[in-house]
Amino acid sequence: MTELNRRNTTILLLILWSITPLIWQLYTSFCSPEALISPFENIAKRWTLDNYRQVFQADPPFWRYLVNSSLVGIYTTFITLLISIPAAYSLVKLPRRIANVSKLVLTSVALFPYVLLFLALLEFARSLNLGNNLLALSIPYSGLSLPLAILLISSAIKDLPADLEEAAKIDGLNLWQRFRWILVPLIAPACASTAIIVFLFSWNEYPIALTWISKDELLTLPVAIARLAGSSVYSVPYGAYAAATVIGSIPLIIIMIIFQKQIVSGLTQGAVKG
Amino acid sequence: MSLNLENLARRIGQKWIIQNLNLNVDPGECLALLGPSGCGKSSTLRLIAGLDKPTRGSIYLLGKDITNISPLKRRVGMVFQSYALYPHLDVYNNLALGLKIRGISIKDQKHRLDNVLGLLKLDLLSNYMPSQLSGGQRQRVALARALLRDPDLYLLDEPMSNLDAQLREDLRPELRNLILGNKQPVVYVTHDQQEAMAMANRIALLKEGRLEQIGTPKELYLRPRTTFVAGFIGRPQINFIKREPGIIVGIRPEDVKFSIDGLPSKIIHKEWHGSNQLLLLDSKFGKIRMITKANMDIPSDINLTWSKSKEHLFREDSKEAIIKD
Repeated sequence: MTELNRRNTTILLLILWSITPLIWQLYTSFCSPEALISPFENIAKRWTLDNYRQVFQADPPFWRYLVNSSLVGIYTTFITLLISIPAAYSLVKLPRRIANVSKLVLTSVALFPYVLLFLALLEFARSLNLGNNLLALSIPYSGLSLPLAILLISSAIKDLPADLEEAAKIDGLNLWQRFRWILVPLIAPACASTAIIVFLFSWNEYPIALTWISKDELLTLPVAIARLAGSSVYSVPYGAYAAATVIGSIPLIIIMIIFQKQIVSGLTQGAVKG
Repeated sequence: MSLNLENLARRIGQKWIIQNLNLNVDPGECLALLGPSGCGKSSTLRLIAGLDKPTRGSIYLLGKDITNISPLKRRVGMVFQSYALYPHLDVYNNLALGLKIRGISIKDQKHRLDNVLGLLKLDLLSNYMPSQLSGGQRQRVALARALLRDPDLYLLDEPMSNLDAQLREDLRPELRNLILGNKQPVVYVTHDQQEAMAMANRIALLKEGRLEQIGTPKELYLRPRTTFVAGFIGRPQINFIKREPGIIVGIRPEDVKFSIDGLPSKIIHKEWHGSNQLLLLDSKFGKIRMITKANMDIPSDINLTWSKSKEHLFREDSKEAIIKD
């Protein structure tokens, strides 16, 4: 086998490895329950849209959860960026020793298993009356996303030549103007990739959403999908789960396709000095 | 319109990178801050621009104390060594940004931009991104930005060091005409003594944060106050010879002549430069550089001499010049 062939085979295997669960999901979503149980027998009614029908005919309608999750995701991303860009900027401008300590703290916070927090957060929600409110839900989400977001964006700011901001000062731009005209446009790729990571986290988050939201019409996607099972413990609606997951993935795939270039360039920013 | 630095000093940690610097630059004068890397010349420029704060001392521009005024308000036109063009804006918007921020109307912006673009022959490049420009073009855009700032003072930080030698020589007269024709003081930082001599009315030679000597290029060349100045100004470098105890004799390569009964020496290296040739000779005083005519065949053993009046004498202990009458 030549070098190239070997490489291509490896890539192919990796792609298969990562895509198979998704294909299985897609396959499951179009299968009737009988077909799922006996995949190799010849069943007359193997393919069906019933799973999707079931998902969409639920009350409240399924698109409602998509909207809820999107709203929380947008709020979270917006709040996170709004705080993390100035925070990252100050992190870069701090004296080195303080900055290093702050980074260490941020990194350990980013690595903290947040599941340990959700009971305490629930107490907060209760005492501050933040339950059943999508905007309020995005507060802990942004809080949890901030450490990583600040670290990502600060490394992007750090990679900008210091001359640029100084030239802007000489040009007469004040801090806000430097943000608006120089800094933010230049770190846009890093902001885009950070935004995606934050949005993904918020889109997939389960325990906090489960405990903070109890009203049916305010549920986010992961919680709503988990509820498809209804009251029965004995039958698991695999088909409906799969259908809901497929629908829930579509917005993410669209976002990924649109911002693919920015995400990659943002994540590799600073890897190579130009 | 003049710039005065009074007892300017800056300390980083325990190290004084600039110490008690006193300079003044007259209107329309170009002062070169010259020195090896780490001598504090760029740091001085940053203090004047307001990008750093001095530990001690004051800066006066037009008689006004600007030491504590923000760089945003200093009205300084600065050209950075890296040019620092905004990479996400095309040439036109790079230049227009400062005007826009200062609230100049779109019509005036366009008028002034067209003027400067024409002056610097950038008209055809106004829609190019900085990354699409050559080094010389980038330098011109950076210069245009400084001109558009309407400055009271120009600061140039090694503006030519990223250009190749040919382009540098081409751009010198252009830069002189553009900036030195005006009535503002100009501070020009460079590590290249030849460039300083070509561009500046006066040169301030710095060493380890201190002013070593200030004067016209001619003064520095003809009457260096220390061995450091003598060694830094003039290429090929001056020869230092220890002929008698306690005294260092400096003699420039072009002042060394052949003679029948002079100092015996041997050629160890020859460089033919076209218009002249450089000889490196070994004598009992050590290595001696000498410049002679190009069209000369030279035997390997020769005798050297020079006129006493061309000698620069320095004290060996303090390295300072002994003033001749």
